[in-house]
Amino acid sequence: MANVPLDIDVLAGAALAPIIGVVAFWFLQLLFIEIQKRMLSKLRHRHEAFCRFTNFIGILFQTICHALGYTVTRSGIATFHVTVNYGTVEPKKEKTGVVEWIVNSFLLIGPFFIPAGLVLLFSYFVIGKGFTFPTPVHYTFVESLINFGVSLSAFAHELIGFLTHIDLFNPLHVGFLFVLLFFGLGIRPSYIGEDRKAKIDMIYDLKNIFYHIRKKPLYILLIILGLYAFYFLSLFLNQNWYMVLFSVFGWISLTAIIALLLTYLLLFLIRSTDHIRGWWKAVSYLTVPVSYVIARIIFLYYPVRQGDSISLLLMIVCTCIVTILLIKYKKTNRFKTATKMKHVRVADGKKRASKKRAD
Amino acid sequence: MEKKELLKNEQIERLLSPHPLSFMKLQALCIFVIVWGIVVWWLTEFSSYATIFSGNGVASWYPLMLWGLVLLLVGVVAWLVAIRLSIFLLYLAVFAGAFGLIYWQHWENNTSLFIMVYSVAVSIVGFLIIELYRRSHKYIITNLRIIFKGGVLTKRERTIRYDKIADIDAKQGILGQIFGFGTIIPVSQSGFGLGSDKSFAAGGVEMGTKKAKLFGFAGGGKEVQTPIARSYYELHGVYPYKDVKQLVEGLVQTHVPTQYQKEQVEFQKQQVDIQTQMRDLLHKQVREKPRGNAVKQTNEEEELDEEENESEEKMVMKKTIAEEDAFPPEQVDIQKQMKELLKKQKTVRVAEPEEEKIEEEDADKEEEKEVA
Repeated sequence: MANVPLDIDVLAGAALAPIIGVVAFWFLQLLFIEIQKRMLSKLRHRHEAFCRFTNFIGILFQTICHALGYTVTRSGIATFHVTVNYGTVEPKKEKTGVVEWIVNSFLLIGPFFIPAGLVLLFSYFVIGKGFTFPTPVHYTFVESLINFGVSLSAFAHELIGFLTHIDLFNPLHVGFLFVLLFFGLGIRPSYIGEDRKAKIDMIYDLKNIFYHIRKKPLYILLIILGLYAFYFLSLFLNQNWYMVLFSVFGWISLTAIIALLLTYLLLFLIRSTDHIRGWWKAVSYLTVPVSYVIARIIFLYYPVRQGDSISLLLMIVCTCIVTILLIKYKKTNRFKTATKMKHVRVADGKKRASKKRAD
Repeated sequence: MEKKELLKNEQIERLLSPHPLSFMKLQALCIFVIVWGIVVWWLTEFSSYATIFSGNGVASWYPLMLWGLVLLLVGVVAWLVAIRLSIFLLYLAVFAGAFGLIYWQHWENNTSLFIMVYSVAVSIVGFLIIELYRRSHKYIITNLRIIFKGGVLTKRERTIRYDKIADIDAKQGILGQIFGFGTIIPVSQSGFGLGSDKSFAAGGVEMGTKKAKLFGFAGGGKEVQTPIARSYYELHGVYPYKDVKQLVEGLVQTHVPTQYQKEQVEFQKQQVDIQTQMRDLLHKQVREKPRGNAVKQTNEEEELDEEENESEEKMVMKKTIAEEDAFPPEQVDIQKQMKELLKKQKTVRVAEPEEEKIEEEDADKEEEKEVA
């Protein structure tokens, strides 16, 4: 055990800091998920298939988490069924008490962390750096919080650095980007229904989780006690295990937030192209790969420093400019009718002329 | 579809064709060729492993070997999983084409670039063929039957009437659920539309190499009956799936007779049989009777035609019994037979569905509706 003075800050505060950090990031993640849900529900009427696809990913992860809960508690899985609208998992043995509570925890909290955890695992193989754990010296609340923040900022720096230097000619990088987008669309437990329902709301998820916690306060107390026991064990053995555990959860939340931010770009592009007429909207989507490929070819013959990042930036700028121009000059007619108004007038029998002509 | 191809009183309800993504299994084969071609190009030209593939002589063939090996391996796996040899043969042909072109044109120095371009070109051709194949499908749902038309070179056509449909199998994959298309297989009463999935596993072992050899072999097979049909003989990947399914089910329902309707038909058949027999007997009676009585008999025949009035029938019976003595024995036999037929007709009428019961059932249904 390190030479640490035994005061309240060491005994209680230092252990509490990473918990607060994880909860804060989780709330932030919830907020980003809520924004994504709102954006998706607005797209629903125009992009039914896309919303169904995102629903499917969300439901798939939620069902996997539920099944994982049954597997961990050794209840067994009798049926596993996933569709675009719902998922069903039934256990072989119906268990109650702690087991049921653990299974429900997997169902309610799992979708926030498990898909993002898989992305984190993938990012470890692609990025391979930034996964640092600062060792605390004084074991105080503030120091623990700072260490947690340092660990997260190092990871965020590496991940964002990787994304800004991503080489889209590298299949591994493209694969990572696709995984990030794919999982980003599924990091949400609720279903985006055909109608606007309260179920879409973030409050719905929170209400469920709080009800779940409130139902068995003893279990929460036991979990907190277990965490403290783990903290003291790390302290006595002079290991950084406690901080590692919470840093990983923090990274997961951060990965989820970055994935969600990337999906916003995609959703924003989809929403913008809705204002463009007919097949012209395809030009916007085609600008993305075409502008990148052109930029890369130019930089292949005229090499510059940070060529990958500049290509990426050019791609984004070109796409924005093209989309804005198309919205301006090829805007869709929102008041389009099935029959032309001119024909309606003729059929009506009253040929209406403008006021000027009438005069 | 031309109007002259339609039957009398036939109307087209829907004209359908498969959804563009409904042949994703075939399209996935092309996508794999593109992706793998690009990966091989990147791996052999730009990755950190590029040095392994650089060099002249045999080394120049390495990219092609790597590309072909994985392609054929995937082909074998797909062949075993999908039980389709054609997938493997297709990949083999693609590989053979690439090998032949390189060898013929002496492009050994740019193998990786050639593989990438070749993969993309072959896949584009593949996509076009699939699209052509998709567009060759036409499904026509009319009020009397379903017509399946198709064929790129050889024209095929299948027609199934709704009353001949024994079962409807419907399936919708994940892609179908997302984009709203699905496959509907109408299984005919003769079993057209039913197939079987066969799987076979076998293993062998050989022990000893010199003199004593022991050889063992074990195997097993399984066959599962499943609704399966070629895309030309099913409503493959039709959009909107739910509406089409509802329409087909509704049309089948209207063409399938219910139990009550079946009973009605049976009852009417029996009635017609009895009436035919009675008519024959009356004709016989008229032919064999003496002339004086013939007038009487025709009167009786007219009266017998009015079967609905039972009292009149009884009167006729009395008359015939009273005149039995005046007729020869053949006439008496005919009259006896008629008597039996009349009795039979009465007993058949007993089996007729009671109106009261039907009314009661209707009333119950209405009550249930009100409760709902």
